[in-house]
Amino acid sequence: MCGRPSRFGGRAIYSPGGGAMGGSAGVFWKGARDAAMGPAWLVGVSLASVGALAHDVGAPAWLAALSTPLVWAGPGQLIFFASLGTGAAGLAILTATTLAAVRFLPMVVALLPRVRGPKTGLLTQIVASHFIAVTVWVETMRRGPSLPVEARMTYMFGFALSCIAIATATTAAGYWLAGSLPGPIAAGLLFISPIYFVTSLARGAREAMDWAALWLGLALAPIMERFVGGGLDLLVTGVVAGTLAFLVRKWRQGRGLAP
Amino acid sequence: MATGAGACAVTETLRLVFAEPAAVPLAAMIVLVAAPNIVFRVMGVFLSRGLDEGSELLAFVRAMASALLAGVVGKLLAAPPGALAQLSFPTRIGVFALAIAAFFAFRRSLFVSLAVGEAALVAAFFLG
Repeated sequence: MCGRPSRFGGRAIYSPGGGAMGGSAGVFWKGARDAAMGPAWLVGVSLASVGALAHDVGAPAWLAALSTPLVWAGPGQLIFFASLGTGAAGLAILTATTLAAVRFLPMVVALLPRVRGPKTGLLTQIVASHFIAVTVWVETMRRGPSLPVEARMTYMFGFALSCIAIATATTAAGYWLAGSLPGPIAAGLLFISPIYFVTSLARGAREAMDWAALWLGLALAPIMERFVGGGLDLLVTGVVAGTLAFLVRKWRQGRGLAP
Repeated sequence: MATGAGACAVTETLRLVFAEPAAVPLAAMIVLVAAPNIVFRVMGVFLSRGLDEGSELLAFVRAMASALLAGVVGKLLAAPPGALAQLSFPTRIGVFALAIAAFFAFRRSLFVSLAVGEAALVAAFFLG
């Protein structure tokens, strides 16, 4: 295929059409297979739940299915459909989803240097950046270093496209199932999101600020839902709880405590 | 007068686009929702040489984003759409608390948390 001599001669164990990988098509399919053997279904299940939410708030099916490849960010999609359901104003929805999207900036910054080779083009990197979401990020960060430099980007494309294809199908399936399953099962499908997203926040929590943001956000939302109108309650929750959590960080820094 | 009318037209347009829930077509909405994700991902590509991950601004944004996502969950539990609304508020909170407790009790396992949460939820339907 398109194997190039590596700039890091001694480390290159990748040869065109040979070795265990079997060329770049082989690497691509290995990525796709690795995703389809597990990780993609985890994302798929969480997005099936988002699809069920989209159904229950009255969004059209095409919007639910399209949101997965276009947005490719579970939290963003969850916020989008939950806000649509409460008749939030467009600006409030946009601000909330923008806040949720900022986290991709440091994620891309952390991941790209690990997967790109010395000759990876800018366009390839931009396309690759769209695939980066929590699962692809975690798995590629984990598997990337064990692959030869030239194979990493191809592997990530295979992994991510497999995830997106499976998750788009499950989003549509979740939408459809929400309308046809009996009550308890439909509720169970819907209930995957709260557990999935809160536990993934808990797994990603690195310092006191992250825990404070998690618990304050959970606790403040029902209160804001009651007292803040105009579909702004989610945004107010995010800003107020986020600011309080950040103040926790500042307070600990001021005290000379570990963050 | 002319500037007044112009300003009026501008505010009217802004109101239509940003304040009226149903004024923006959903097709445009999904593109607008996708846009910030694309913008921040592409910014990441260009900043990927030399961005301080530990900066205070990024920490502040991370705190707000986490609080927002947790807030969505809190809101879904407080005022759920569809089938979840058949359970009472204390039941929903109880089932969720059980799932989260299982998560922390069993070495932060998502699978255990989901299994316990779903079992408790179905049980709540048949008991309640």
